[in-house]
Amino acid sequence: MIDFLQTTLGSFVALIPVTLAQSLILGFVVAGIMIPFRMLSFPDLTSEGAFPLGGCVCGVALASGLGPLTAIGLALLTGFIAGCCTAFIHLRFRIHTLLAGILVMTMLYSVNLRIMGRSNLSVFGTETIFDWVPFVQPGFPLAKIIAVGVITLAIFLALNFFFTTEKGTAVRAVGANPVMAEAQGINVWAATIGGIGLAGAFSAFSGALMVQSQGFADVNMGLGILINGLAALMIGEAIVGKATVWRQLLAPFAGAMVYYQLVSLCLAAGMPPPDLKLATGAFVLLMLALPTLRAARGRQAATPRESFRE
Amino acid sequence: MLEIRAARKVFYRGQPDEKIALNGLDLTLNTGEFGVVIGSNGAGKSSMLNAISGSLALDSGQILINGDDMTGLPVHKRAKRIARVFQDPMLGTAASMTVAENMLLAELRNSRRTLRHGLNAKRLADYRERLAILGLGLEDRLNTRVDLLSGGQRQSLSLIMAVGGSPDLLLLDEHTAALDPRTADIVMDATVRAVETLKLTTLMVTHNMQHAVDYGHRVIMLNAGRVHLEIGGEEKTNVTVPDLIGHFATKTDSMLLAS
Repeated sequence: MIDFLQTTLGSFVALIPVTLAQSLILGFVVAGIMIPFRMLSFPDLTSEGAFPLGGCVCGVALASGLGPLTAIGLALLTGFIAGCCTAFIHLRFRIHTLLAGILVMTMLYSVNLRIMGRSNLSVFGTETIFDWVPFVQPGFPLAKIIAVGVITLAIFLALNFFFTTEKGTAVRAVGANPVMAEAQGINVWAATIGGIGLAGAFSAFSGALMVQSQGFADVNMGLGILINGLAALMIGEAIVGKATVWRQLLAPFAGAMVYYQLVSLCLAAGMPPPDLKLATGAFVLLMLALPTLRAARGRQAATPRESFRE
Repeated sequence: MLEIRAARKVFYRGQPDEKIALNGLDLTLNTGEFGVVIGSNGAGKSSMLNAISGSLALDSGQILINGDDMTGLPVHKRAKRIARVFQDPMLGTAASMTVAENMLLAELRNSRRTLRHGLNAKRLADYRERLAILGLGLEDRLNTRVDLLSGGQRQSLSLIMAVGGSPDLLLLDEHTAALDPRTADIVMDATVRAVETLKLTTLMVTHNMQHAVDYGHRVIMLNAGRVHLEIGGEEKTNVTVPDLIGHFATKTDSMLLAS
């Protein structure tokens, strides 16, 4: 028993830096999931397609000799367009947001294959943004942690600022009450398309960073990212809360960091990797079911409103 | 000034359940005038308000505010000129946002939203002052989420939000109907005070005949999608609740006789 704990703990600790680097990168896709769900009340699945889209675009750009920043820029742009498409499909044709997201995500799979011309592409050895971190040996987790950590902090602060500006408050109003927002002179279409586009750009950004970090792009790299992201978001919200704007914005980044360490701990403890998605799904289900179960036992007057639930 | 010219709207056109909501409605409301709209269910009151605010597109006809044609404009563009208080307190405010944030949204209704910090100290002081007029203690709850307020408090907040910035036209859509009688009186008093002080051009829909008698310069009764009766001036000051109800009765009788 002691042996088991020692080996588990040993391999877990050895993996902490790698996992931290990975979770910082994936924090952006969690943010790309949080913004539609929480800020715009627009349950959206586009991230499942926008994440590999960003990866594929970045991979192809790197392979064709473009710089790492240009590659990320292109990924951001395509992710933004993907998000805009989902929002437009929902607004224009009145198709449910989830179905609109599934449509875009499914179509993106073909698009991703077309962009790459094959199912995976190695970009190992090309220059990445992690090579620019001073005083650290490139290719090691520390370089990634520093680079992505700085970007995360900057983006978190920028988001925090934006959502308390006059424009940002208007965007939040669209999520809180679209009828009221419209009556207060806010262009609901523009805010929704822009907001979902921004979320798509975040997901694609995450995919692009992931490709630069792991050295290859794969059309299947987004598989299950949405449920992982939701699990991370829920953990984040359980830890930092969501009552104020900055807490809600911190939740995806904090949640990603904790969630991927938990996954790493499970793997270190000997959990077979194929079972991981089942476990994640069960976890998300449990988190969603808890308030309803509590209400049924009469410990709570009413189930809190929750955009993940009917 | 509000002008509605020959507004026509038909729902389910060409289908067995075709319904004429607005049938060539003409109405003029002068600047500073307070019009009270009454009428039975299906008379076209809601359709008229929605056509004015822009959430209902007319089949034909025109809507003008201070002479400017609003007919083709979407709701959010018309909102620069029009403020509206909905019947449902839930509709008029953003529940998951704070009182101050709701006030900010209303303040920015007719101006460009910038990338500057929204809730600065000057604005908060202004909101505190404006909310204090209500006497409901909302001025001390600027950072409270609106879904923690009662229906009456939310509706009072909606009213303060609507009258701020002196809109060219104020639409009140049975805005006291969902409230208990005491709260309804508070909201109604606040409404009348604001409308009189700011001399707002106001159109109020109500099912409360006493309100129609007590408030406003002119009673406008709608029937079958057009103006059935207008009572203004001296006649308005002498009108009583039974008089108004009487007009409902003759209408029903004449409809029965005609059929």
